[in-house]
Amino acid sequence: MLKELVEKKRYSFHKGFDDWRDAVRAACQPLIDDGAIKPVYPDEIIKKVEELGPYIVIAPNLCIPHAQEGVGVNETAMCFMKTEEPVHFDPDDPDKDARVFVVLASTDNNIHLQNLALLVETMSDEEKFAKILEANTPEELVKIEE
Amino acid sequence: MAKLKVIAACGSGMGSSQIIKMKLEKAFKKLNIDAEIYHTNVGDAKSNANNYDVVFCSESLVGTFGDVKATVIGLKNLLSEKEMAEKIQEKIIDKK
Repeated sequence: MLKELVEKKRYSFHKGFDDWRDAVRAACQPLIDDGAIKPVYPDEIIKKVEELGPYIVIAPNLCIPHAQEGVGVNETAMCFMKTEEPVHFDPDDPDKDARVFVVLASTDNNIHLQNLALLVETMSDEEKFAKILEANTPEELVKIEE
Repeated sequence: MAKLKVIAACGSGMGSSQIIKMKLEKAFKKLNIDAEIYHTNVGDAKSNANNYDVVFCSESLVGTFGDVKATVIGLKNLLSEKEMAEKIQEKIIDKK
């Protein structure tokens, strides 16, 4: 999964963000640049989180920005981002901090489900996840899966 | 035990809820519980909650369900089968 994302240039590394909204936008940027999603997609994600709370932070340090299928999405895709400093989604809850972001966009549910399965497999592996948290370059990301 | 009807919910119905479903399938299988698991968004899950025995969602969404009849279980870590197994034990098996 990581290797494929690096090959497709669907990744970014950042120092940190004061506002989680900027983190979500930055995480989506490579997909906007290559046309997989429209700029409205991150806005949709942000709107949902403002309405419902930080449900996109699915595990400590892991955020999966995503919104409704099809809205502002041209292609089923994933995109990786890592920040050096934690991004806070809830100032009162450190469990909602995240440093690893994987944007999910879907138009095709079958491919999307395969992507999700890959994501779950990769991120559920504690050893791998620890290495992902340490990675600061695309080369280091690729190495994790070798 | 009759087949358990379970719904996994998230904000959009396409990301976290499907992850919860994937993980729950494994967790229920390990515990030998026969469960039928669906996934959807919170709005839909809330209006249909009375047709299900259990709702699983991210902890931050528990509040949106109010006082539905189904047991609502909030998860801190959606990838943790351990957390799921513990909560299934505590809120489903021990309640029977």
